[in-house]
Amino acid sequence: MTGIGAAPTLGAPADDGVRSVPARAKARSVLGYWRLYLAISPFYLLFLCFGLIPVGFSLYLSFHRWDGLGSMEYAGLSQYRYLLSDAQFWNSLTNTLIIWAIATLPMLFIALVTAVMLNSAVRFKNFYRFAYFLPNVTSVVAVAIIFTSIFSTNFGLANAVLQGLGLDQVAWLNTDWGIKISIAVLMTWQWTGYNALIFLAGLQTIPSELYEAARVDGAGPVHTFFRITVPMMRPIILFTLVVSTVTGLQSFTEPQVLLANTNNTSTFAGGPGNSGQTMVLYFFQQSFDNNDFGYGAAIAWGIFLVVAIFSIVNWRLVQRGEK
Amino acid sequence: MKGMKGTRARGLTLHISLIAGVLGSLFPFYWTIVMSTHSSAEIFQYPPKLLPGSHFDENVHHLFQKIDFFGSMFNTLVVAVSVTFLVLFFDSLAAFVFAKFHFPGRRALFVIMMGIFMVPAQLQAIPQFVIMAKLGWIGSLTSLVIPAAANAFGIFWMRQYMKGSIHDELMDSSRLDGCGFLRQYWHVALPVVRPGLAFLGIFTFMAQWNDYAWPLIALINPDHVTLQVALSQLNSVNGTTDYGMVMAGALLALIPLLVVFFIGARQIMADLAKGAIR
Amino acid sequence: MPLSRRALLYAGLATTATAALGGTTAGCSVPNGSTGRNMTLWYWTGGLSDKVVADAKKRFTDVSLKPAQIGGYFKSKLLTTMTGRAYVPDITGLKGEDMASYLPNAEQFIDLRTLGAEQLKDRYLPWKWAEGIAPDGSMIGFPIDTGPVAHYFMPEVFDRAGLPTDPAEVGKEMDTWEKYLAAGERLKKKVRGAHMVIDALTIYQYMIAQGTLRYVDAERRFIGDHEHVRRAWNMAIDAYQRGLCSRYQSGTPDGNAAIENGLLPSQIGASWVAGDLKLTVPKTKGKWRVAALPGGPANNGGSFLAITKSCRKPELAFEIVTWLLNADNQTRGFTDATLFPSTPASYQQAAMRAPDPFFGGQATIDVFGPTAEKIPIAYHSPYDYPLDQAVSDELRNVNALGKDPRRAWKDAMAKCRRIADHLGVLT
Repeated sequence: MTGIGAAPTLGAPADDGVRSVPARAKARSVLGYWRLYLAISPFYLLFLCFGLIPVGFSLYLSFHRWDGLGSMEYAGLSQYRYLLSDAQFWNSLTNTLIIWAIATLPMLFIALVTAVMLNSAVRFKNFYRFAYFLPNVTSVVAVAIIFTSIFSTNFGLANAVLQGLGLDQVAWLNTDWGIKISIAVLMTWQWTGYNALIFLAGLQTIPSELYEAARVDGAGPVHTFFRITVPMMRPIILFTLVVSTVTGLQSFTEPQVLLANTNNTSTFAGGPGNSGQTMVLYFFQQSFDNNDFGYGAAIAWGIFLVVAIFSIVNWRLVQRGEK
Repeated sequence: MKGMKGTRARGLTLHISLIAGVLGSLFPFYWTIVMSTHSSAEIFQYPPKLLPGSHFDENVHHLFQKIDFFGSMFNTLVVAVSVTFLVLFFDSLAAFVFAKFHFPGRRALFVIMMGIFMVPAQLQAIPQFVIMAKLGWIGSLTSLVIPAAANAFGIFWMRQYMKGSIHDELMDSSRLDGCGFLRQYWHVALPVVRPGLAFLGIFTFMAQWNDYAWPLIALINPDHVTLQVALSQLNSVNGTTDYGMVMAGALLALIPLLVVFFIGARQIMADLAKGAIR
Repeated sequence: MPLSRRALLYAGLATTATAALGGTTAGCSVPNGSTGRNMTLWYWTGGLSDKVVADAKKRFTDVSLKPAQIGGYFKSKLLTTMTGRAYVPDITGLKGEDMASYLPNAEQFIDLRTLGAEQLKDRYLPWKWAEGIAPDGSMIGFPIDTGPVAHYFMPEVFDRAGLPTDPAEVGKEMDTWEKYLAAGERLKKKVRGAHMVIDALTIYQYMIAQGTLRYVDAERRFIGDHEHVRRAWNMAIDAYQRGLCSRYQSGTPDGNAAIENGLLPSQIGASWVAGDLKLTVPKTKGKWRVAALPGGPANNGGSFLAITKSCRKPELAFEIVTWLLNADNQTRGFTDATLFPSTPASYQQAAMRAPDPFFGGQATIDVFGPTAEKIPIAYHSPYDYPLDQAVSDELRNVNALGKDPRRAWKDAMAKCRRIADHLGVLT
């Protein structure tokens, strides 16, 4: 049970906890404990019924060889040993982290700024929300066709812009960095509006008196942003950061749709040089293309470990500022 | 009212930057519309078509011939509404507890939940199928609704949201008024966190509407599928896919989502207005 | 106007109740596995002719035939049900590229020889028939379609380069890869910006497909460093180093535009590539011809039908399968869904001999038919796929990223040995 095994290190989350809950609440709730446990129980019950067995099964699987149909063969730690020495896995890890970094960090910043702008724009607010929300629901098939067009070498919008600026063409889907940047752009496009809406919901919990007071003191928009908005939004920023870490490090749709039709090889290969192969794509390639389900399970647990480590680091970073 | 008196210039820059973002967001969607109005052959022509064509009716006609569009849309609606409703209730309840109460094991339980959140979802299909088959749920919408009824994402989100928005004074005064746990949840917490709930509702609905991987495996009866599963049957293997039809399907499938979004957004707006007087 | 919580609560409860009830009723109507009264048939969109399937439904009335087109990733759904031992279809399609992984698990399927398949053997292509047979000799896959590979070319552009333009002549003058590349040199010199080969990988893949050996032999030994692989690799590298390979990728806007502009006048591809061309570059209608593949016949793609062990009425299922896949219906499969028949008798039928305007009125069956009949019987190992991936990835690194070919070969072989070792293949 790696999920529980990771618990001690993950202890940070609750620290910020309910620092503000008065001791009275604690005393009162002694009688009401059962209500509280009952209230949180649905999630855990569902996990016990539908999640625990799959998780346990995949752990069991990672110690075996299995082609998906035949009998399993015990393999001890060999899948994990192979994982550690597998250059392609490490390549996929590097790819994932690079793509995550160049997509997520700018994306969250742009989203926050967009949310602040949306919050202060009085007119057309509904229209803006609608527009920013659309990328997240546009059909994947459409996205694939559109973005391969945008990044195509001779006819793409991206290169047209570059040439307009007097720069050279880039073979976006045919070079190492081109692939990574294209994927990051696609992710940013799809998820910025989503995160902006999260931030917007959070912004609405900030009492407007705080802004009034700042304006009376003569604070400019930038000052207000960093002194009021960012500190007040800390719980929400933490949320988006952790969620973007968990989902970003498990990304696969974006690279898959963008690189799927590059010269009749596996849709999970991630383009030339495996430059766009993320960890989850590699998991799919091993499990479903290679029928190596045991190794696939080991990769999945590798992914879990990486996600957990990065989430904890992010959590600590954001929490540090909070007294 | 805030910000109304800001200089005209600042308002203009604001709108210009917002509109720039809007253009970037809308363009691919616009292109989807354009593609849904062309025949497959036209979609692949270069330079790409940027204006709507005349094949929309034809594409929609083919679509309705190929799949039971409205039947599968109804199934999706049932699943998405049920899940959204259950998730809003269970997640907000659990989040309220995690955000505002102390009890033995709170920390450990929260950590376990976050740990579960990080397990790659792709691991689950085979064992989950076996469980569902034993329960006799395979092929039914129940197999989609029940496992999705509560999730770590929503609990985490509502917890973070409640930490910022439900002030302790509010909790204290409600307790002095003699409110029990459920009444605190219903009368104190929920009204305050409506924008957060509206957000969670929109995105849960959206995620369910577009969910694909598990329904594809769990729904084994071709006459009884969700919309995304039906749409997936349109993609052919031999490069003979009718992309105009696929695009028309994708576009029509989006309409209910947009309706829900508008209702949800209004909800957030209304609360914003109320928040000002609160 | 904000909706009230109460109204939302009622609405939500009502729908959830519908889901629960709808769930139970649907749950009751779905049989737990095969009952013998229903017969489920799984295939993917375009995997069989829908019209033939519809006719089968009308024709076989002893059971209620329930065809289902499975969207998405077909194999994962089939594996899930088979491993879960629930709701397994009675008859299922198996994709050709997945066959090597199904064959070692022949016990999951009914041996079609026990149902009298042998009597039909001489009506089907022998190599295709052999691909449906497991190592233990049992037959699990009944042939649907095949993918004979041919050389698609644009006579107009070939003419400008002083190359032959008649399909028979092209086939004869470019009957080896060496001659094909020499023609590529001429094309490069005479037509500015044109390339004979879209990608070095194409040459490698089809040369491998022309042989009878892949990466692992029947004794589970690694043979990926043998002569047949080296030869294909060297030919591909040779084409790359002589500047005959483009950097376009098929299926991308750039690639399609290059094809439309006559810069890629030669395409190596299976019979179904005709469908791709018609769809993606419709403007080139009439500008194509089809010739025999340099270096001999090869196959790419094609699939099978199998009867699972869950089937309660295997005899009847077999009757349905053989009817779906008889020569007449395979011909219909070709007209409806570009499925190239595995029944040579179809090649003589009028529907397949019709001149194709996309190919300037050529009856392409004259090329595809003989190719299909001469494809060699090859051994496919379940371990071929990851090894092929490793070599192909390296070749792509050379072609797309300019990696040093010698370094790439070394890396490819090192990767192969590691993978082979991990999979328990003897090196």
